[in-house]
Amino acid sequence: MRKYLFRRLLQLIPLLIGVSLISFFVMHLAPGDPTALFIDPNVRPEELARVRANWGLDQPVYIQYFVWLKNAVLLDFGRSYTTGQPVISEVAERLPLTLLLMIPSFILTLLITIPVGVISAVRKNSWFDNGFTLFSFAGMAIPTFWLGLMLMLLFSVKLHWFPAVGNIILPLITMTIGSLAGLTRYQRAAMLEILNQDFIRTARAKGLPERIVIFKHALRNALIPIVTILGLSLPDLFGGAFIIETIFAWPGMGRLGVQSIFQRNYPMIMGIVMFSALLIIIGNLLADIGYALVDPRIRYEKK
Amino acid sequence: MGLRRFSILLICSLIFSAPLFAAEMDPDGILRFSLGGEVSVLNPILSTDTASSAVEGAIFTGLVKVNEKLEMVPDLAERWEVSKDGKIWTFYLRKNVKWHDGIIFTAEDVKFTFDSILNPKVNSVRRSDYIIDGKPIQFKVLNKYTVQAILPKPFAPFLIHAGMNIIPKHLLEGKDINTAEFNRKPVGTGPFIFKEWQSGDHVSVVRNQNYYFGKPLLAAINYKIIPDENSQLVALEAGEIDDSGIPPKDYTRMKSVKGIKVFEFDALVYTYLGFNLANPKFADKRVRQALAYATDKNQLVSLIFRGLASPAYAPSAPISWAYSDNVPKYPYNLEKAKKLLKEAKAENLEFTILVNQGNKDREKAAVILQQQYKKVGVKVNVRVMEWSALLKIINAPKDPKDFEAVIIGWSLGLDPDAYSIWHSSQYPKGFNFIKYKNPEVDKLLELGRTTMGKSARKKVYARLWKLIAEDQPYIFLWYPKAVEGVSERVGGLSKPGPAGLFLNIEKVFVRK
Amino acid sequence: MRKNRLAILGFAALCCFILVAIIAPLIAPYNPDEIVESQTLPPSWSHLFGTDDLGRDIFSRSLYGARISLTVGLVAVTIAVLIGTLFGAISGYYGGLIDSIIMRFVDVMLAFPSIFLILAIQVMLTPNIYNVMIVIGLTSWMGVARLVRGEFLRIRELQYVEAAKAIGCSNFRIIFRHILPNAQAPIIVAATLGMAGAILTESALSFLGLGVQPPMASWGNMLMDSQAYMRDAPWMAIIPGILILITVLSLYFVGEGLREKLNVRG
Repeated sequence: MRKYLFRRLLQLIPLLIGVSLISFFVMHLAPGDPTALFIDPNVRPEELARVRANWGLDQPVYIQYFVWLKNAVLLDFGRSYTTGQPVISEVAERLPLTLLLMIPSFILTLLITIPVGVISAVRKNSWFDNGFTLFSFAGMAIPTFWLGLMLMLLFSVKLHWFPAVGNIILPLITMTIGSLAGLTRYQRAAMLEILNQDFIRTARAKGLPERIVIFKHALRNALIPIVTILGLSLPDLFGGAFIIETIFAWPGMGRLGVQSIFQRNYPMIMGIVMFSALLIIIGNLLADIGYALVDPRIRYEKK
Repeated sequence: MGLRRFSILLICSLIFSAPLFAAEMDPDGILRFSLGGEVSVLNPILSTDTASSAVEGAIFTGLVKVNEKLEMVPDLAERWEVSKDGKIWTFYLRKNVKWHDGIIFTAEDVKFTFDSILNPKVNSVRRSDYIIDGKPIQFKVLNKYTVQAILPKPFAPFLIHAGMNIIPKHLLEGKDINTAEFNRKPVGTGPFIFKEWQSGDHVSVVRNQNYYFGKPLLAAINYKIIPDENSQLVALEAGEIDDSGIPPKDYTRMKSVKGIKVFEFDALVYTYLGFNLANPKFADKRVRQALAYATDKNQLVSLIFRGLASPAYAPSAPISWAYSDNVPKYPYNLEKAKKLLKEAKAENLEFTILVNQGNKDREKAAVILQQQYKKVGVKVNVRVMEWSALLKIINAPKDPKDFEAVIIGWSLGLDPDAYSIWHSSQYPKGFNFIKYKNPEVDKLLELGRTTMGKSARKKVYARLWKLIAEDQPYIFLWYPKAVEGVSERVGGLSKPGPAGLFLNIEKVFVRK
Repeated sequence: MRKNRLAILGFAALCCFILVAIIAPLIAPYNPDEIVESQTLPPSWSHLFGTDDLGRDIFSRSLYGARISLTVGLVAVTIAVLIGTLFGAISGYYGGLIDSIIMRFVDVMLAFPSIFLILAIQVMLTPNIYNVMIVIGLTSWMGVARLVRGEFLRIRELQYVEAAKAIGCSNFRIIFRHILPNAQAPIIVAATLGMAGAILTESALSFLGLGVQPPMASWGNMLMDSQAYMRDAPWMAIIPGILILITVLSLYFVGEGLREKLNVRG
């Protein structure tokens, strides 16, 4: 296990370099121009050209990449084109707000997913199960941004319960519903697998009351997928964060990312992409560890 | 006077003045603004977005400023003189003005500000405002409170550019202005002192007790960042902020909302449909004139703005002192349009209109024009593009440029000088991206900017607009009205006009 | 049983939508781009879904929007499946170094916050319906690749494949005639679910203005304009979303139904 972990962690570096290569080249080779973020059309084109040169954008792309890489290794991700401030400090300033959405969302998701998944599995095909299955499908099919809009329409515009901007509850609910749906199904499937396993059958054969079988034996094992759930949620939470933060004007890292893309704020985009990629890779690692813990057969990668 | 009469008088005056007492000014009042975007930098020589300029307006001041009548009046400069040949401007500065950190403001700060803008290493896009015909303006310090600007040739618009907010030499000299910490923690000479900036959320400033035009009536101003126009309106109605723009569709409703006063005023802006004159489709004047006759400007204004805009006919705005509407107007006439198209052998004209994404008004206009031109047999394709992609196309230094027609707007400066938009030399590098060329117009443009004296210039520009409208290189579409809603608890507003309602921010106050 | 019923329901709904999308020009009461009213009207008999902020009939736009969303979904997922199957097959069949390299590449692609990548690409290019399809296809093939690879790893060990090799069949023949047909099932399921995902992604992109551009109507960009009118014309925001929801849901039901029927593991 330790060897596996170590190998995976080693892979982190080439993965991150791969991500950085693709992002950097996609950004720089694509048409479009960060100086256009000086949105005042009264500015003369020569001025924009000069600023572009000041930012080093006149150099060939591969040289720009190596400069970026050299600094990135030392954790200097350059400065934002819009504010001139270090990318790292801007990301650090906005990250807590995104976490403020992601962490409670994750906790809420856990609190709901696990019991629902377990009960669904135990009472398979009951009204509860079928009802929730329908709900999870619907939850997965709803466009996140539309869900956000509908919640805003209902609670802000019509009912006036919450302000449209600045309040945390609506974005939180939107984010939670989105991740809840898919994960509930996963939990249910995991629980079903466990219930089918030999040791459960043995416990039942032994004549133990059903309640003890479930709570003592099944449940303990059913909680193991938490690690996997954590791993799986991360990329989705991030993806969701970008859109949700934009709709609700939540000033977190996700919205910063979307804005940076529109502004072609290259250093900022690179910083956010790298950070997200890091979190996603770690998330995947956790998910895989989770899988391995649950299913000993997949413990080591086959060659 | 009898006691009884006196008491009645006393009681009456108390009753009638009660509302005044109730509406008493709050000495610790805080004004809550909303910003439509994020503040990028709080440094006037670097920033280009309106959110940053809004906050800078409270923190910094310049040599001159604009008044309600759009005239330039003294600010940090008490008075100024221009030499006979129009090339040397001398500014006599106000004495004993202090920066927010206590240091005295001097002519050195002025020279430093303009020299920094002219420094090519500094990412200031305003640089070319201070370069005339390729030569930079020289700034000289004569003594502690006198500074001179030496221009390569007379240039009437210079006074406006002299209004640039001044930055402190003692804090920025020797530093890299592009990345200085100062841009996050600014120090200025204005009525309010920077307090804090929470990225993406808000910026706040507090009263500068020593402001030279008098202690501001507000204790503090809070700028909240609310990027969505509709959310701003919701916040205004909910009493969370004191000021918001009002989209035309909400105008009637907002007028009847208690506690909010609605102002509408003209802006120095016009929107137009520009044709690429290097494209053979539009080379013939008759084609452009035909399309002008086919444009129902009233329908545009009523559908998009519900009447909160007026049709445009000239490349100037009605509130500009140089405006003249003595121009060919091409009133809506489908028959004339069809006739001209036939004469120009352009009955089967088809072209693409580019429009930038994010500006709903222009997108709607493109779709409406598509429908209108269909009536004269012209097929229009609408292409919505992202703003920077659009700018890249129209600014590309090539000939001909890759577009056919575009709907875009010009935000006019305080000076009517339109040289950079219409002069034939400003192509392909410059703002004359449509390749307009009219030698007489060129002459008039030169004349307009070198003539000093308003009434003389006014005549020049009137003739200029007439010539341009005759050529219809653009079809002028509309002059939008700015509509703003302000909470009734706010007082001390300036007369509604393009300079805004909060012109003299130190005179603004809020009621309890 | 329940699942089966849902799958059939989904299938019926899908067929309905596809049919409607195909005959849209015939049944649309108005031209979707034409301004027919001077104001925003709520749903009524003359305008089933009401009119939008420019006065265009929403029902007609929705019909044409169905064409767009379904087409984009189909083409995007086809691209994704083609690329994914190609990579997965080669990886799974040849194994060894090729497998490692391809799988590393898959890992890198998976490490991207995909929405971000798509947004970035779309912002750089001039968004239009064509590059939306391509970009979504180019960023969602990884799941299929892994799936196909897994199937190939499993199937190639089977006896009949060994037999085929022994006879001397070319690799090409083995891949395409022997293994791939047996790997169909999971690919079909993945394609169905993938189409649902592609439709969701397209609508999110169009909503942000980076997908299908106006005035072409897509359910996503119809929602983009609706945000400003939520108070005055909520139907503008409600209807396109419901349409997306039904379409995607139907695809999910059909996909799950197929999964059960074809006995495919998650």
